[in-house]
Amino acid sequence: MLTVLVSGLASGALLAAAALVYNVMFSTSKVLGVTTGQTAMLGGVFGAWFMTRLHFPVIGALLGSVIVGAVFGLLTDLIAVRRVLSRSDEHLWLLSTLALATITQQAVALWWGTEPLPFPRIIHQDFGAGLLDQKYWLPVVTALALAAALELFYRRTLYGKLFLAMSEDAFAARARGIPTDRIRALSYVIVGAMGGLAGFMAGQLTFAYFAVGITLSLNGFIALAVGGLGSNAGALVGGAALGILSAGASYFIGGEYQNTIAVGVLMLVLLVKPAGLFGAQVARPV
Amino acid sequence: MKLRCDRSGLGVIFAVMGALLPNLSTTAWAKDKESIRIGWLSSLTGPQSTSAIAENKGVEFAVDEINRAGGINGRKLELVTRDTVSDPKTAVNFAKQLIFEEKVVLIIGPVNSGESLATIPVVAKEGIPNIIIGTVDELVDADKYPRAFRPINTNRQWIEAANDYALNVLRRKNVAILGDTTGYGASTAKAATSALEKQGIKPVYSALIDQNKTDLTDELNKARAAGADVIMPWSGNTGFMARIVNARGDMGWSVPIVGHPTVMAAPLRKLVNKPTYLDNTFAAGYSSMTYDDKGRLPATTKTLQEKIRPRLGDGEIAYSFWWVALGYDTVKLAEHAIRSAGGTDPAALQKALEDTRNFPGVYATYGYGPKERNGFSDKNIVINQANSFKDGVYRAAPR
Repeated sequence: MLTVLVSGLASGALLAAAALVYNVMFSTSKVLGVTTGQTAMLGGVFGAWFMTRLHFPVIGALLGSVIVGAVFGLLTDLIAVRRVLSRSDEHLWLLSTLALATITQQAVALWWGTEPLPFPRIIHQDFGAGLLDQKYWLPVVTALALAAALELFYRRTLYGKLFLAMSEDAFAARARGIPTDRIRALSYVIVGAMGGLAGFMAGQLTFAYFAVGITLSLNGFIALAVGGLGSNAGALVGGAALGILSAGASYFIGGEYQNTIAVGVLMLVLLVKPAGLFGAQVARPV
Repeated sequence: MKLRCDRSGLGVIFAVMGALLPNLSTTAWAKDKESIRIGWLSSLTGPQSTSAIAENKGVEFAVDEINRAGGINGRKLELVTRDTVSDPKTAVNFAKQLIFEEKVVLIIGPVNSGESLATIPVVAKEGIPNIIIGTVDELVDADKYPRAFRPINTNRQWIEAANDYALNVLRRKNVAILGDTTGYGASTAKAATSALEKQGIKPVYSALIDQNKTDLTDELNKARAAGADVIMPWSGNTGFMARIVNARGDMGWSVPIVGHPTVMAAPLRKLVNKPTYLDNTFAAGYSSMTYDDKGRLPATTKTLQEKIRPRLGDGEIAYSFWWVALGYDTVKLAEHAIRSAGGTDPAALQKALEDTRNFPGVYATYGYGPKERNGFSDKNIVINQANSFKDGVYRAAPR
């Protein structure tokens, strides 16, 4: 039972990180890009590449993965978000980010191959450590650290406050002289870096595999919806809940019901509490 | 109502189309009316591409070899390759294109059951002979698809060989069956359970698991608690199989694993935490791809290895060589059918393949019949040791 809890928590932590990425992205652009999972995929694949092929030390590979994620985040804004938002109020960003996510996945498949490849150990530790193995706790620590860093960023930095201002009302922020395009671009750089870091830290769980992104985008969104859009605490709780629930459903009921139960919970939460567990209901002025 | 189509929308469409456009082989542009056009449907990219890429090496090598020797009755073979991107819908579209636009006389492929299930009725409807590579038992049917012939083994053959080894050689009776939740994984695990039950063995633990589940320690703990003394995994997913091997190794559990060939496939070896984790692991393999007691291979296998080695990188062969040999044999079977039929008439090709008995390939010896579409006989199957991979082939499991 403890194994179910720990392994569920570890995979849930990666979903929580994806939900945090969605939160940052949404705060400045009101976009929930399908590229979210691909940032983590890139972190895992490039992390393995840096370490196994280029023989980077762990810290160098970590920084490299974060930089690759950040660059991909910036490209996401430039290619799939900026022009779409400037020309349409409708949800065309869903298509544009899906297109970019698909292109990215295919490109990585062509370059890296379609079989999963190993992700090296980050910390020296024997494989017989059981539930204390780094593959379980590294994603959890990463998700918690990302949430804490975001809170500090929002509360203690000027840029964090600019993010919050754009989150409240982007038009008002622009009217007050905030360079909203630049702030949004910065937020996508942060988003990419966060995803790259999370993918790197969870690489031992996911392997370095080109196809993890789409699943992560979908399940990260479910975690976000369960926890509540805009709430970092909600993202953590939603991710952990979904991870543990999926592992529990697979263990106690059967793997064929795992995804049905996960999506079923999403529907249940949305029916009972449409704003999610920690989400704030926004009053619409009439 | 007016449909709006701004430039950013078009940009999205072009981007998506650019990503999804398949690779078109240059051979398609080099049409030669005198040549014999053979369609080759293969998942050269996408999740099912590892084995397909290896098979493609064998297919291309065989075509070149036949053409270098003067072709078939003076006519060169022209391979018309289409990459199905591991997608059944794309495979169907390309099957139609090969038949109606490229006018191929025979189609080899697709190379997995999922795509083959989708294309086989389409190809059969047009009466085109089809050499098909998929292991799902129900795939071929002499009455429904009389011109579809299978050179590869069936799942039943893998399952029976693995069950025999687990029950009669290792003398294990408490079986845990693990499958993934894909159609292939679930149906194979179900067939394996059914085969065991026919022998009076009810698995002590049976589970279907999402193939993307990142850790399988809990499932193996459950199997151990249920008293399992052998793990029999049935899945074609490398990551899934590697997680089973790693969970067993990390737990320090010495239970044997006997199952699907994926558990000894070359890509999996890179994913295991320690090479020793593959000890006590066995999988269904082929007598043609197995070293004998003195470390020798069958002459046909050795010959093909040496002939094709320069195309595979000149060093040790790093992936399962049976994929290459199987691809090579499919073209040789097509050549045999065309020579025997004296041309490319579909009915004559069907008759030629039906009359084929003991055709010596590299991967196996093939034989069909008026009502037999499975050309691979049980005697070609053996059980291999997963930790014995060397130069693309394996050693036999101890008996």
